Amino acid sequence: MSDTASSRLLSGRSLAMAGGLVVVGLLPLAAGASPYMLGLLISSLILAGLGLSWALLGNLGGMVSFGHAAFFGVGSYASALLAAKLGVPVLLAIPLAGGVATLSSLAMLPALRLSGPYFALAILAYAQIFRILATEASWLTGGAAGLQRFPGLPTVFGFNFAERHGSYVLVLGMVVLCALIYVVIRRSYVGIALRAIAESEDATRVVGVNSTLLKTWMLMLSAFIAGMFGALNAHIIGFLEPDYAFSGIWSVMPIIGAVFGGYRSVIGPVFGAVVIYMFDQVIAKSLIPVGHQILLGIVLAGMVLLAPNGLAGLVGRIFSRTGGKHHARA
Amino acid sequence: MTELILQALFSGVLIGSVYALVALGLALAFGAMRIINLAHGELVLLAAYMAYLVESRTGLEPYAAIPLALAVVSAVSIALFMLVNMIRDHRELNSLILTFAIGIILTNAILLAFASDMRTTTSAFLQDAVSFGDVYAMRGEIIAFALSLVLMGLLWWWLKASWYGRAVRAVSSNRGAAMLMGINPTRIETVSFLVAGALASFAGVALYTMSVVQPAVGHALTVKAFIITVLAGVGSIPGVFLGAVLLGVTEALTVTLASSALQELAGMVLFLMVLFLMPNGLFGARARRG
Amino acid sequence: MVRSAIASATLALALGVGLPAAQAQEKVVTIGAHMPLTGSLARSGQTFNEGMQVALRMCNAASPKVQVKVDVIDDESTPAKAVSAVEKLASSGSVAIIGGYGSNIVGPASDASDKLGKVYITAGAVSDELTQRGLKTFFRINNNAGYQKGIATLLIDLKPQAVSIIASTKEAPTLLAQGLEKDLAAKGIKVTVHKFDPAITDFKPIINKIKLQDKPDIIMMSAYENDYVGIIRAAKVLKPQVKLMVGTWSLATPKMYTEFPDLMNNVVGTSFLPFPVEVKSEEGRKFAAAYQDMYKKEIEYLATLSFVETTLLCEAIQRAAEAGTLDKGGLADEMRKTDRDTMLGRVQFDQTGDNPNFALSMGQHREGKIVLVSPKAAATGDIAYPAVPW
Repeated sequence: MSDTASSRLLSGRSLAMAGGLVVVGLLPLAAGASPYMLGLLISSLILAGLGLSWALLGNLGGMVSFGHAAFFGVGSYASALLAAKLGVPVLLAIPLAGGVATLSSLAMLPALRLSGPYFALAILAYAQIFRILATEASWLTGGAAGLQRFPGLPTVFGFNFAERHGSYVLVLGMVVLCALIYVVIRRSYVGIALRAIAESEDATRVVGVNSTLLKTWMLMLSAFIAGMFGALNAHIIGFLEPDYAFSGIWSVMPIIGAVFGGYRSVIGPVFGAVVIYMFDQVIAKSLIPVGHQILLGIVLAGMVLLAPNGLAGLVGRIFSRTGGKHHARA
Repeated sequence: MTELILQALFSGVLIGSVYALVALGLALAFGAMRIINLAHGELVLLAAYMAYLVESRTGLEPYAAIPLALAVVSAVSIALFMLVNMIRDHRELNSLILTFAIGIILTNAILLAFASDMRTTTSAFLQDAVSFGDVYAMRGEIIAFALSLVLMGLLWWWLKASWYGRAVRAVSSNRGAAMLMGINPTRIETVSFLVAGALASFAGVALYTMSVVQPAVGHALTVKAFIITVLAGVGSIPGVFLGAVLLGVTEALTVTLASSALQELAGMVLFLMVLFLMPNGLFGARARRG
Repeated sequence: MVRSAIASATLALALGVGLPAAQAQEKVVTIGAHMPLTGSLARSGQTFNEGMQVALRMCNAASPKVQVKVDVIDDESTPAKAVSAVEKLASSGSVAIIGGYGSNIVGPASDASDKLGKVYITAGAVSDELTQRGLKTFFRINNNAGYQKGIATLLIDLKPQAVSIIASTKEAPTLLAQGLEKDLAAKGIKVTVHKFDPAITDFKPIINKIKLQDKPDIIMMSAYENDYVGIIRAAKVLKPQVKLMVGTWSLATPKMYTEFPDLMNNVVGTSFLPFPVEVKSEEGRKFAAAYQDMYKKEIEYLATLSFVETTLLCEAIQRAAEAGTLDKGGLADEMRKTDRDTMLGRVQFDQTGDNPNFALSMGQHREGKIVLVSPKAAATGDIAYPAVPW
């Protein structure tokens, strides 16, 4: 995770990382995981994708969002409606839904001027507004009663995405793809400029970097990714209602996962979301059937206090003696 | 129609005064430390459950729970501050995440301790109707309104006149300069959190007397408190009160003039409008843009 | 005396006392259940769970040869976790699933259950869409039509000029309000619907609108427990000139009266049991006694629903086990053969798995008692009308 500017946007190292991710990701299939386990893993990968989108905005854009549910919900409704009402093929509807989520992010442009907590909670307000609009626009969304009959994931060339193994491979592929996009941007001129902005916005403005424009791009990209994962989730679950599509869970879990895994790295949010979700569902739930989220809270608080760079930071500290510069800054 | 609007304004002011109590603690801690305590709503909720505990166990009026609530909530608030104070890097972001985590812990601790049943006062005295001409309220709401005004007056006086109050303001306007003047910022910040905890105690008990509480409502209270802090602008006690009343009145008028389904929407839109159009809040002095 | 005797007898049976011989040859069958045990619906989930546990004790005691036990998983009111729960339960050997609360949860969960070929029964999902999917393994004992029918019968019998409906924007209350609006309008009754966001806490502005603009004879609340308290409190303060306050789920229960005696008197809600429980059936009496014994409280509405669904499922399992078809997918057929009087009235399942006989009675809080007031066939007393809590 060297910070040196590289002209090769996709270095061998990041491709190796992606390859490693795929291999690790395919292990459960090779090990013959039960549909139950695969179901949990799919849910955790959806959160991992959201976590990537959140961390991209937080890390590159310097903006912490408390309302990623806004994009997630818009994406899920857009895809379900495109597929059900206009008959768009599901695999096409998913990226289109990402596009619709991107459009919705344009409504948030005024918020880009806000700092820290103000931005975070402004986005939360958008998520609430979108939820209420989805409830009220019942002619389109079915309102509070929700949408139930829209197409699920299709079968392509004999490969059934609707079935657990297929869904898993699809979601895994999307996560890896988004991680690669993240890496490319991080290494590009844009990424360097963005990190410079995070260091000192005023200084970069003097050098002629248009920080608002770059932040806008990051917000749009983050919305696009979050919207696509919302769409994927909608087709996998097969039911939508405003309270679910715009639920606070979609804002909160990616943050917990990303902080746990280390939101300054690319792999951290993915890894963190999967570990945290599986921990919550498999271990915490069996220890405290009711109120097991208390353990999530304790883990999150402990990570912020003891290892603010997350698991990725911890691992980095253990394995790299030369990583001093990285830690000093983060 | 006039009667409808009058009642809406009246209800809005009453509920706004309790929103103000909920928001004051958050605004105070934010003013002193630039830290948004995302567990503030859970502190308020904790106090409400203390009121439930006392009322259901002893049969006393809920306000008898104030001493217990003060002790418990202030202790939790101080503990929370000590944790926040352990953060070294990226204080703004990490404190958001830390206090958010503490909010999750508190919500679930309350769930484990009190189960998920909804709770509210059963006191006939507090639930009785009182009328002023054509407008009506519950007695509990009038008491909460009066309590809110008194506490706000006291806080205002304290910040203005006492040494601690002036030190709080000094630390919040310039931490470095305050240190040079011999003020220990950590001590001052501790006091701010203590006072915020005390305010949350009163807010929670008042909330219990006029509204229904459940473990899940803590987060919504925090969001409301933050909205009010934004409307008010940082560093203005009267601003918090006016901002809270503005929110309460906007909500009530939305119900009266449009639909109650849009009440939340109106509050959020008001929040965003003020955020975007009046960067210093309606009554505040300082900028919030980065 | 009689009640305590029954209670101790049930307890003895439940503990397996006096059944050592039967245990030797018993067959244990596992069923699964997913319920919201955390979050805002946790209370409902826990009450469901209680009714289910009582049903299994009684069912097992009645038919010791086949013992049915249940694994419960918290679905946290999220569809993905409910689906995971179904898959986990199925993979750990459950022969059938008892579903959770809310059509948003039950929809995806019963889909998953159908794919795995497991019978799925619910008492917590009323949306019409659920039975239009053509699932072969889906069953439910209650539906929106039944609630609508129960409330509409009462309201139409009272012949009001105008009715105001206060409806939460959550799924089930919205559906019920829409249905009632149609039914009442068809009878020439003026209906005004006021939708509210569940986040709302002060209902005075809505009640004032009703008081000054709608001037109805009856206020109907299509909402949940915490909303009722807020609405009735606001009405008590503003005192609109109405003749009756009517609500639906979880309102006409002894618990509500114990907790809010000042608010509940004369309020009407959906119910099927008077209180003190004058259960006419033997089964109902046993249930009430066993519930009192296990949970030290009077039976509640949701507990009764889950008691009935669990009993039906348990009996079908026992029939299938006796017939030897349990392992060969015979359970759905046995379920479809169900035709039995329960505390909810007669229950049958049609081709879609719905219970066409479902219709609720309406009960009125009267000084700590609950009197069934509608429909006439089930009534245990006359309705107090006009009568309001203030």
